[in-house]
Amino acid sequence: MTALDRMIVLGLLGAAILSFQLTAPGEAGERVVVEQRGKVIFTAPLNSDRRVALSGPLGETVLVIHDGRVCVESSPCPRKICMGMGEISRNGELLACVPNELLIRVEGGREKEGEYDLLSR
Amino acid sequence: MPFNRPLIIVLLLVALALLMVRRYTGDEAESVRRSRLIMGTVVEIAAFGRPEAELDRAVDAAFAEMSRIEDLMSPRRPASDVARLSEAAGPVAVAPETAEVIALGLEVARRSGGAFDLTLGRLKSLWGIETEEPRVPTPQEIRRALEGTGPGALQLEGRRVTKGGPGLAVDLGGIAKGYAVDRAVRVLRVAGIESASVNAGGDIQLLGTRPDGRPWRIGIQHPRDPDKILATVSLDEGAVVTSGDYERYFTAGGVRYHHLFDPHTGYPGTLSRSVTVVAPNAALADALATAAFVLGPEAGLELLAGYPGVEGLIVGADGKPVLSDGLRGMVSWP
Repeated sequence: MTALDRMIVLGLLGAAILSFQLTAPGEAGERVVVEQRGKVIFTAPLNSDRRVALSGPLGETVLVIHDGRVCVESSPCPRKICMGMGEISRNGELLACVPNELLIRVEGGREKEGEYDLLSR
Repeated sequence: MPFNRPLIIVLLLVALALLMVRRYTGDEAESVRRSRLIMGTVVEIAAFGRPEAELDRAVDAAFAEMSRIEDLMSPRRPASDVARLSEAAGPVAVAPETAEVIALGLEVARRSGGAFDLTLGRLKSLWGIETEEPRVPTPQEIRRALEGTGPGALQLEGRRVTKGGPGLAVDLGGIAKGYAVDRAVRVLRVAGIESASVNAGGDIQLLGTRPDGRPWRIGIQHPRDPDKILATVSLDEGAVVTSGDYERYFTAGGVRYHHLFDPHTGYPGTLSRSVTVVAPNAALADALATAAFVLGPEAGLELLAGYPGVEGLIVGADGKPVLSDGLRGMVSWP
């Protein structure tokens, strides 16, 4: 085995590992997706802090993205249940404001590991 | 053996190609998860095992079907069957779906001795639990709101519904959401989907087994600690519905007033904290969960025992959970 052989083998192995890492599916990056009446009205990466006001039928709901988590900071709805839902950060987690017709969820990244598939409440 | 450069390169390239093919075709089935706000709650549908475009179409159709049921049965939509019924003095012809829900509701009302009631519209408006200004009505107001209600207050002949009195207001709140979930699952099944779940704010119907073949694990909300689950139920298919006093309530004078009314007293039921019903379909589970909540642990389990394929878990007012016999092997505790 010559030095060239070794370089070719190592080069191919390196390319394999690199392409494997770069193209791994399901790692598109975590992001916040907000839907209204079935349409996506806002999306942003979860890893850059920001504050955004989103319009619904009752007025503006303010979302805060901070430290990889998202929560409802203020809402024009009467009972503020959405604000009481706390923060979400894992793939599939949801916040909802029924009166202001906003559905906020986290997509991408690690699936929330839990002891159940669905919650009955 | 001498080192063969072309051969080793070809072998490495083949290995790389195999790796990439495996990476992209994977052994995981296709899946989609979507959520919408329908009937005042978050509806989540997950569907598995078909190409993504096909799953997308089926899930969209399932949401559309649920919205159609909401249009028929929401008391807040002036053109809905329920709004027209509440306004009417004489008989009203309703959609076949509404007639189906009323038929099932009347049957559960009769078999539960009136613990389930489709004619509590006036009582619910009076308390205003789901409004900005809920209040405790006076005993006289409650007596008036209950006048003429009960299992015999609605007559159904085919698709014609007749009220016992012109002032009765119909409310399908304890059953329509479960029915909408069932309709969504039917749409998914007709579209050829073999594995899916529909969850409308805790009213769950499962279609087939999970894509990996293991049973679905359904977490049951703890009635007093929102961050905890009370138990996990393992199921291959069927429906699970939970009704609890923690879902919608207000407190006045240190008392919790919730949305599950005892039709005999006109006040929120006091014998249970939560009821979980496992049944072949979500409409039946929904109605039975409300009825069993009002009846309490003992009479509630007795009611459930009369229905084949129905099981239940009832947390009494003392916080103690009781189980139907058939559920014992399916429940695990944290």
